[in-house]
Amino acid sequence: MKRFIAILLAVAMVLSLSACQFLPKLEDPDTTPAATMQPEDAANAVDKILEGKTFENVYKTYFSSSYASFNYYSTAYATVREIIANCIDGLVEPNTYGVYVPSLAESWKSNEDQTVWTFKIREGLKWIDHTGKETEYAVTAQDFVDGIRYIGDPLNGAYSLRVVRNLIEGLYDYYWLLDDIDSGTVTDTTREDAVATFDEVVGVKAIDEYTVEYTLTSSAPYFLSLIESSMLMLPVEYEYAMSLGEDFAIDNEHMLYCGAYYVSAFERDKAITLTANPNYWDKENVTIETVEYQMIPDGTTSLEMFKRGETDYTSVEAEAYLSLQGTEWADNLLPTSHSFSTNYLWLDFAGENPEFNKFINNENFRKALMYSLNRESLASLREPVDPKRILRNTINAEGAIYDSNGVDYTDYSPLKEIKETDYNQPELAKQYMEAAIKELCDENGNIIGCEPTTVDYLPVCSFDVDGKLPVTICYVGTDDEAEIIMAQLFKAMIEESIGADYIDFQIQAYSGWTYGTVADPLNYDIYFDSLSTGYADPSGILTRMTTDGAENVGKYNVPEFDALIEKALAATTFEERLQYFAEAEAYLCGNGFVIPFISSLRGYYMSYSVPYTSPLTLYGNTKYKGTLVMSEPLTKAEFDVFEAAYDVERAEALKAN
Amino acid sequence: MGKYILKRTLNSLLTVIIVFVAVFMLLRLMPLSGYFPQDMLKETDEATRMSYLRNQGLLDHPVKQLFRFIGNLFQGDLGRSLTVYPKVPISTLLAEKIPVTAAFGFSSMLLGIVLGLSLGLLMVRFKDRWGDRLGTGYILIVRAIPNLIYLFFIQVWISLWFNLPMVFKKDLPSSWILPVICLSLGSIAWYALWLRRFMVDEENRDYVKFALVKGLPKKQVLRRHIFKNAIIPLVIYLPSDLLFIISGSLVIESLYAIPGTGGLLTTAIKSQDNNLVQVIVLMYAVLSVIGVFLGDLLVAAVDPRIKLTEEE
Amino acid sequence: MENNNKTDSSRILNPLKFRAAVFDSMLSEDTGYSNYSYWRSTIRTFFKNKAVLALVVLIAAIIVMSFVYPMVSDVDPNKVSLFITDWNQRPSAEHWFGTDTLGRDIWARAWYGVRNSFLLAFCIALSDVGIGMIVGAIWGYNKKLDPIMIEIYNVITNIPSTVYLVLLAYIMNTSYLTLFISMASRGWIVEARFFRNRILSIRDSEYNVASRCLGTPMRRIATKNIIPHIISLIIMEAALCIPYSIGSEVFLGFVGVGLPVDAITLGNIVNHGRASFTLHPYQMLLPTIILCIITVAFYVIGNKFADASDPRNHV
Repeated sequence: MKRFIAILLAVAMVLSLSACQFLPKLEDPDTTPAATMQPEDAANAVDKILEGKTFENVYKTYFSSSYASFNYYSTAYATVREIIANCIDGLVEPNTYGVYVPSLAESWKSNEDQTVWTFKIREGLKWIDHTGKETEYAVTAQDFVDGIRYIGDPLNGAYSLRVVRNLIEGLYDYYWLLDDIDSGTVTDTTREDAVATFDEVVGVKAIDEYTVEYTLTSSAPYFLSLIESSMLMLPVEYEYAMSLGEDFAIDNEHMLYCGAYYVSAFERDKAITLTANPNYWDKENVTIETVEYQMIPDGTTSLEMFKRGETDYTSVEAEAYLSLQGTEWADNLLPTSHSFSTNYLWLDFAGENPEFNKFINNENFRKALMYSLNRESLASLREPVDPKRILRNTINAEGAIYDSNGVDYTDYSPLKEIKETDYNQPELAKQYMEAAIKELCDENGNIIGCEPTTVDYLPVCSFDVDGKLPVTICYVGTDDEAEIIMAQLFKAMIEESIGADYIDFQIQAYSGWTYGTVADPLNYDIYFDSLSTGYADPSGILTRMTTDGAENVGKYNVPEFDALIEKALAATTFEERLQYFAEAEAYLCGNGFVIPFISSLRGYYMSYSVPYTSPLTLYGNTKYKGTLVMSEPLTKAEFDVFEAAYDVERAEALKAN
Repeated sequence: MGKYILKRTLNSLLTVIIVFVAVFMLLRLMPLSGYFPQDMLKETDEATRMSYLRNQGLLDHPVKQLFRFIGNLFQGDLGRSLTVYPKVPISTLLAEKIPVTAAFGFSSMLLGIVLGLSLGLLMVRFKDRWGDRLGTGYILIVRAIPNLIYLFFIQVWISLWFNLPMVFKKDLPSSWILPVICLSLGSIAWYALWLRRFMVDEENRDYVKFALVKGLPKKQVLRRHIFKNAIIPLVIYLPSDLLFIISGSLVIESLYAIPGTGGLLTTAIKSQDNNLVQVIVLMYAVLSVIGVFLGDLLVAAVDPRIKLTEEE
Repeated sequence: MENNNKTDSSRILNPLKFRAAVFDSMLSEDTGYSNYSYWRSTIRTFFKNKAVLALVVLIAAIIVMSFVYPMVSDVDPNKVSLFITDWNQRPSAEHWFGTDTLGRDIWARAWYGVRNSFLLAFCIALSDVGIGMIVGAIWGYNKKLDPIMIEIYNVITNIPSTVYLVLLAYIMNTSYLTLFISMASRGWIVEARFFRNRILSIRDSEYNVASRCLGTPMRRIATKNIIPHIISLIIMEAALCIPYSIGSEVFLGFVGVGLPVDAITLGNIVNHGRASFTLHPYQMLLPTIILCIITVAFYVIGNKFADASDPRNHV
C-alpha cells in the first residue's frame, strides 16, 4: 500500500512540474512560478480571489452528440461516461490531487504480488431511483460480483470487454463457454448449468455482505486506475437489471443510482438534468445541486451561448481562439491541461497497393515518412500559440504512468530518446527516401517487382498504379472538416520534404464508421486514428499492438516487439515491466511501424467553475463533486493563481500523506 | 366510388410492399462490419462480433428476417434500435420524436401557407410593380443563397439582435420563433411562386376577361374567380405536406438542437441501423401513398370539373 | 348518332361540290403571318429587355472567366502552406479575397469552383431534363404505359435516396461520375411526370384538338405547338438545376458520395467555409456572390425566356 501511495505522490509531483511547463508562453512574465511560491502566499492569493465571490447551485453545460443509452456495460458511446461517472460510484475514486481515496469501498488491500484485491464496502447504502427516492435494494459486495456476472454473459453484449475479460481469473473461459453453448458448438452442458458455475470459476467473490474480492490472472499494480477508467467494474443491482431485461438503462427511469447525482430528467437528444443524491454518503462535499446538460451540436453555437451566459462552459478551438484575441473575452481563455489520447498514423503493411507495399516494408522509407512530418505545423491547427505543448512522439502519454520511484514511463531509456527527437527534418527525410529508392528501384524509376495494376480499396476508393516512381500513397481519414484540413497538410509536408516526384499522396475522406470499412479490411495505405492510455500501465495499449493483437490494424509483423512484450508481461517487478514495455514501444515507434505525432488535446476553454475543485480524474471522466461554480467567468489571471497554489498545495498534501 | 377506393387501396398497398421489400433487401446487402460503431469494432475480436450478430438475429437469411419482422409487426412490436439508440424500442423513440417535429412542422406549414399565399396574392395584385418586385426579390434570395449560409446568419445574428435564444428549449416559447421561421422560409417562397404563376395563367382566360367586361371589380374577380381556380393545383399537395410534417428538417433541427425526426433516417442508414430504417421507410411509404390518395380526393372535392369515377 | 350525322351531311353537302381536301403543308403555311418565324421572334422579344441582355452578358462573362482563368493563371488553388501565418489571411493585394484555413488563395479557388460546379450542373440539367422530357413524352403519349409508369414513379420517389446512395458509395469511388449518377438518379422521373402532365394538358387543349381534326399530323403538332410551349419549361427547370446541384452536393458529401477532397466546386467551398463562417465571413463572400449571380441570372433569364417564347407576347 505504501508503495502505491508513493507512486501517486510521484505522479502528482511530476504532473505539477509538467503542468508548469504547459503554461503558454505569451502570457505576462509576472506570473509567479509555482516553485518559488510559499504555501501561505498561495492560500492567501486563492482566498483573496474567492473572497466576495458568490457560488451558484446550478452548473449549465452541454453535450454535442446524443446519449444513445445509459447502459454503462454495453454502450459503445464514450459520452455516456460523463453521466455515469457522476451517477454510479465505483470502489475508489481520485481526490483533487489524483490520489485514490475511498468511494464505495471504505478500505482495500492487495496481496504481495497484487493479483488478489479485497475491498471492504461502505455499509448501509441504498440504491436510489430517478426520483431520488431510496429503493429496497442495498449496495452490497454482491452488486460488484453481479456487475462481472452481467458482462460475462455474451447475450448482454458488454462493450470494450477485452481488458477486463482477460484480467479477471476465469472470466475469459466462462464467456466463451456461454458463447459456444449459444452457437451450438458445445452441447454437452446446458446454459443454466454453465451460468450456475459462475461463482466457482470466475475470480470475483463476495466474501461476506460487504467484502468483495477480485482474483486476477496477472499482477496488476494499476488495478485502481482500471477501476477508475473502466465502466465494466461498476456495480449493478442484478435482480433489478434482470427484471428489466433489454430495457435496462435505456433511459433514466430504467436504472438505479448510487453516486453523487441521479438523472432526474432525460429528454433524448435534447437535455439531461442531474440532481444531487439526497442520501449520498459524501453529501457535504457535493457543492452543485443541479447539473443541466443541453444538446448543442455545433462548436460555434456553444461559444456564442457562453458569451450570452446560457452555458457555464465552452471549449474554444484554435481559430475561435485567434478571433477572440482583442475582445472582452480574451482574458477568459484558459489552456486545457492534459490528454492521454495520442494521434498517430497507421501504415498498411499488407494492403493491395503494390507500390506502397514494397516501400513500407523498407525501413528507410518508413524513416523518410517519420522525418517528413512537420508536427508543429500540424499542432498549430489546434494550438496556435504554443503548438509545441501538444507534440507527442510516443504512443503512451507522458504523465500517465509512473514507476514506484516516481519516474515517468516515457523517461525510461530507449523511449526517452524517441520522446525528445525532433522529427521535423525534411533533409533527412529526403536522404532516407533516396536510400530507399536505391534499394527498391532500378535506374529508370521502375519499382522492382511491381506491376502496373488497379488497386481496389472500395468502398473507399480505387486507383491505378503504374509500378514506377512516384510512389502512390492512399491516405484515408474521416470526412470531418478538421481532419480533412489535417490530411491536406500531411500531403503538403510529405510531398514538400520528400518531393512530389517521389511521392504521390492521395487523400480519401471517408464518411461513416471508418474502422469497419477502412482499417479492418485494410482499405488504406495510411490511416489516421487515435489511441488513449486507459489506465496507469502501458499494457493497456501495447499488448493490443502485438503482431496478432487486436490493435495491429496495419498488419505489421514485428517479432522483436512481441518478444519484448512477452518479457514485460513475465517481469517480476513493476520497474522491470516498464523497462521492457518502454523498449518495446521505442522499437515500434523508432522503426516507424506506427507514427504518433500529436496528442488529442484541443486548445482552450472558458468556464465559470473554479479550477482544481473537482476530483483529478486522469483516466475517467469529470466528476462534479466538489466543483465550485462562480457567477462570473474565470479569468486567465485568476486561473494562474489557482494553478500555482494548487501545485504547491498538492506537493504539500502529498508530502503529508 | 367504393370501387375506386378499393382499386386505389390495392394499388397503394402494392407500392408500399415493393418499396418496403426493396429497402429491406438493400439493407441486407450492407457489410456485417457496419453493424458496429467504430470504438466497438476496435475493442472486439472477430468471435465476439459474430456472437453479437448471431444474438441479434442478423446472421439469419434475409427472407427469414423479413418474415420475422412482419410477424412482430402484426403483434405491434416494431423492434429495437440496433446502433443509433442501442436497445431502445423503436416505438418509444418515434413516440418521443414525432410530436416535437410535428409541432414545428405544423406551425411552419401554417406560417408558410398564410404568408406564402399572401405574398403570392400581393405579387399578382401589384404585378410588375413594387409588390411583385418585393416577392420576386424574396424568392430569389431564398433560392439563390445557399441555405446553410442564411440559416447560420439567422441563428447567430438575428438571435442576437432580437435577443432570442439560440437553441430550442421546450418550456421557452420564444425559442420556437426562429426555427419555425427558418422552416417556413422555403415553403413561403414555394407557395408565392406557384400561386403567382397559376394566377397569372388564369388571368388571361376568357372567363376572366368576360367577368371584367361585365363590370365586376378587379378585386372581386381576383378573389372570387382567379384565386379559387389557381389554388386547385396547389391543393393536391396539401395532404402530403400535412402528413409529412413528421419528417422534419435535418439541417434546421441540428442547428437549433431540436430532438426531432429530422436526421433520424439519414443517421440510421449511415449507422446501418436496419431495424430503425425499415420502420421509418415503411411509415413514410404508407404516409406518402395516403397523402397522394387524399390529395386526389381533395381536388375532386374542390374542383367540380374532376370526377374520380368514369361516368357511364 | 354518328351515322345520322353522316347521312345528314351527305344529303346537305353535295359530293360534287364538296370534297375532303388533302393536307398540304405549303398551303397551311400560307394562312400564317407572312414571314413570321417563331424562334426569331422569340429571340427578338427576349433581347428587347436591356436587363436581360445585361444578365446574359454577365453570365457569359462569368462562364468565360471560369474557363479562361484556370488556363492562364499560375496560382495553384490547392497550394497548402505549412505556416500558420499564411492561414486565414485577410484580403490583400496578393490575395484579393484572402486565403482559407490552409492558406489557399480564395480568388483562384472560386474560379476553379465555378467551372467545375457549372459543368456538373450542366450535365445534371441535361440528364434530368433531357431524359425526363423523353420519358415524359412517351409516358404522355402512350396511355397503356400509364399504370406502370405511375407505379415506377411511386416506388422510386418512396425509397429514401439515402438508402441507395449509401450503397452506391459502397461500390463506387468518390468522383465526378459518382456524384453525377447519384444526383441524376431521381431527378429524371420527377421531371418526366412534370412533362407528362404538361404535355397532356397542351395536347388536349382546344386548339390542338382542332388542329388534329383538321388533319395536322401529330409530328407537326408536336414540333410546332407542343415543343415551343415545353421549351420555356425546359429552360426554367434547367436554370433551377444549378442551385439544386450545389445544395445536394453538400448533402451527398454527408452521405459519403461526395467528391475527392482535392476537387474544388462551389458546393465544396461553401460547405467547408461554413465552419469558419462566423470567424472569417470574407472567405464566403466571393463564392456566395458568384453563386447568387448565377442563380438569379438563370432564374430571371428562364422566366423572361418563358415570357418571350409565349406567342401571345410576339409582335
